[in-house]
Amino acid sequence: MTISKRSLMKAGLAAAWLPLFTRQGFAGDWTTIEAEARGQTVYFNAWAGSETINAYIAWVGQQVKARYAITLEHVKVSDTTEVVRRVRDEVKVGTAKGSADLVWINGENFRAMKADRLLFGPFASDLPNFKYVDVEGKPTTLFDFAESTEGLESPWGMAQLTFFGDGTKISDPPKSMEGLVAFAAANAGRVSYPAPPDFHGTTFVKQALLETIDDQGLLQMSAIKDIFVGESGPMFALLDRLHPHLWREGKQFPQSQAQVKQMLADGELLMALTFNPNEPANLVASGELPATTIAWQHADGTIGNTHFVAIPINSQAAAAAQVVANFLLSPEAQGRKADLKTWGDPTVLAMDKLSGDEAKFFSGGDVAGSVADPAPAIPEPHGSWVPLIEAAWLERYGA
Amino acid sequence: MMQSLRRLCGVLPLGVFWLLPFAVGVVAVGLAGFDGMAWVALFLHPQFWPALALSIVTGSLSLVISTLLAFWIVAGLHGSTRLADFMGSFLSLPHLAFAIGFGFLIMPSGVFARIIGLLAGWSETPQWVTTQDPYGISLTAALVLKEVPFIVWLIAALLARTDIGEMLAKQFRVGQSLGHGGASIWLRIFIPQILPRLKWPLIVVWVYGASVVDMALAIGPTQPPTLAVIIWSDLNNVDQAINARGSVGALFLTAALGVIATLFQFVTSVSSIATRRFLVAGPSLSRAPRKPAFALLALFAAIYALVLGVLLIMSVGSQWPYPNLMPAQIRWAAWSQLVDSPAPLLTSLTFICCCVATALSLSVIWFETFTDRLDRYLLGLAVAALAIPSLLIADGQYLAFLQLGLNGTWFGVFLSTLTPVFAYVFIVMRGPYRAFDPRYRSVSLGLNASAFRFWAAVKLPLMKPVLAAAAAVGVGVSIAQYVPVQLVASGRLATLTTEAVTLSSGGNRPLLAVFSLMLAFVPLAAFLIAARLGK
Repeated sequence: MTISKRSLMKAGLAAAWLPLFTRQGFAGDWTTIEAEARGQTVYFNAWAGSETINAYIAWVGQQVKARYAITLEHVKVSDTTEVVRRVRDEVKVGTAKGSADLVWINGENFRAMKADRLLFGPFASDLPNFKYVDVEGKPTTLFDFAESTEGLESPWGMAQLTFFGDGTKISDPPKSMEGLVAFAAANAGRVSYPAPPDFHGTTFVKQALLETIDDQGLLQMSAIKDIFVGESGPMFALLDRLHPHLWREGKQFPQSQAQVKQMLADGELLMALTFNPNEPANLVASGELPATTIAWQHADGTIGNTHFVAIPINSQAAAAAQVVANFLLSPEAQGRKADLKTWGDPTVLAMDKLSGDEAKFFSGGDVAGSVADPAPAIPEPHGSWVPLIEAAWLERYGA
Repeated sequence: MMQSLRRLCGVLPLGVFWLLPFAVGVVAVGLAGFDGMAWVALFLHPQFWPALALSIVTGSLSLVISTLLAFWIVAGLHGSTRLADFMGSFLSLPHLAFAIGFGFLIMPSGVFARIIGLLAGWSETPQWVTTQDPYGISLTAALVLKEVPFIVWLIAALLARTDIGEMLAKQFRVGQSLGHGGASIWLRIFIPQILPRLKWPLIVVWVYGASVVDMALAIGPTQPPTLAVIIWSDLNNVDQAINARGSVGALFLTAALGVIATLFQFVTSVSSIATRRFLVAGPSLSRAPRKPAFALLALFAAIYALVLGVLLIMSVGSQWPYPNLMPAQIRWAAWSQLVDSPAPLLTSLTFICCCVATALSLSVIWFETFTDRLDRYLLGLAVAALAIPSLLIADGQYLAFLQLGLNGTWFGVFLSTLTPVFAYVFIVMRGPYRAFDPRYRSVSLGLNASAFRFWAAVKLPLMKPVLAAAAAVGVGVSIAQYVPVQLVASGRLATLTTEAVTLSSGGNRPLLAVFSLMLAFVPLAAFLIAARLGK
């Protein structure tokens, strides 16, 4: 197909109008949105593998019902890619009545939805509570896997790769990938990680890539296959050395982080990994792991990111979805979420932006299972590296 | 005129609720097959060939082993009339619930390892390669344990038919007179006659084993997984091109199974000359293995009891690390969660009630408006609905329902669940319903009763056991649906089965156990009620 200059110009003119149209639905002030939201039902598509998270979302449902007369339905999702697929299929056949109103999302799924224009917005920076967000101290609240959010998703919580195990069995936890190889060699069959494309498994491999690559800066740019092939050599060399010492000699892998965690609790594995630094403490508090549990991060830092909520473009309740997103950013909801007794998901807010009363929602303090020496968070590689990493991993270790 | 109008009424609801959804599903996925890139991508998938081999091997091996064991049990216990009833109670436990409980038994930190560890003094879990082993042995074992009761039940049902039962009883006496022992009679006379009659049910069992998704996710191998699991994750991927690869993968798996079945048919017909030499040999005095058969049955009963037992303990034990034989503390949290948020249970129950009621009505309407000459066409379609992997039909229905806006709706999920439920209900009902003695009708009409009054006052009460048995089967089939519900419900509706699969990848184990127990309890209750009504 040839593209004439004229049609390009037409497209450009149309594109110039686009922001006006897309912003129309929420250009009005916040009280209008709140009024419109009353009585709407929000189908919140959120990963539901954890009881504490489900309980927290149920609490949010009670709150938005009482405060804004919004009904929140938690659509329990085991893999967010299902939601992306569904929305894309709905939009493709022109279903105006979308099945999802709010999606818990980040990374590759966000990139796919953004690229395919499946998202409503920009709306995030217009949320009244967005002013509390720590955009300076936590730059990943604006850059999701090096992809600019452009206000199409609202930050919800923070994550950083963290490892944990029983302190009575691990005296000297490995603080680097190299250290992990030695640790696995000394404890054959007692270490593993979930197989990519499981999110945690991919993150583990990315951490290995970050620790072995010469120039970490390369990973912040869009991936190029030749560069990946050239630069991933040391990473695969490391994994090749690690795998023979893993559970089932690295020929089989657990399917999910939850399974790794369960295997730690059962005593099959010595350590597990998580993206929530507070999860180990949370598991101690809920009685699933013993009080002797310790958590650690690699000394030079581990991958960290932000997770978000986004609104699909065909949402039937975009107003209510924004009200819910705003409530999720409130100091009260963020404080409760960060509380180890409920969920323990780190906040996206800046403590110094909160008033004294607002800060009271956060009750800090060291408890059993919290990370001993927090290490810096390294921003996620650009999302375009993920398919390359996953394909290469599968090719090498999948069969 | 009246006749054709009546027939239209008979076939119209069937067409809308069952034929059409089934047909559009097959057509839609067939159209998705015209995607050259997707085929290329499928064959380039690094796990494609090993995964295909795993699927075929687990499906075939489980079929062969379970058929052998089933005949062993039936031959050994020939004459025990309660066998079918006894097996039926095993049957009602859904595959997924069984696989989850069985996994808890055999995994390295499972009950067996703890008991052995206690005796042997292990301080750490053994490094067994049990659940999710690379060769699919645990998947095969779980399939065998689940299929043997089904095949035994099939054989027992066949033997219970008066025509076949009497014929075989006579042949048994002839065989004995000629000096053949029980084992010889079974091998040389009974099995060669029974097997061909079980051809289609066995094909359904085989296809199920080779294409099952939920069980393979819970207990199957992971690197590579079975082809069905690869197809399933492709269908759920963000990338459209990978979705297309999933659709052609489902087509390929179906075609591969079709080719293998045809080849097998050919091989058996060619080899019949060789088997004939065995068939005419003898006589052999060896008896049917009564004691080993009984022991085998007891082993099955013990494993099923252990599965249920471990699920019960798991449902109330929050912290239960190796090597403790019992959980440190008993908590009812998971059960109270079921009570507090009963949505998955209620959704499952609603689908069960509606699907089973519709399937029974459609079957009865068919039987009452069409003569049995046309039965074989519908029977053929019903068998096809079961012999085609549900992965393929459900993917097609998802693609078609997308155009119709039915995905994510209650009605859409209802239709896709009804596809297998009606097929089973119709197949189960057809024999006994058609065997109804026509003289009742003549007498009733002679007494000037209307056709409807005859049906409602005379036939329905007499048919109650048949309807109850078919309904019980329908409940079991309906509650166990995973692939169609997960695809078509688009996350809007969660059932016990979809929740159990989500939980089986990790997370809340007590809740997983509670859902598995409910999965077991509902069909069992239906079966017990049906057995009571049947008396």
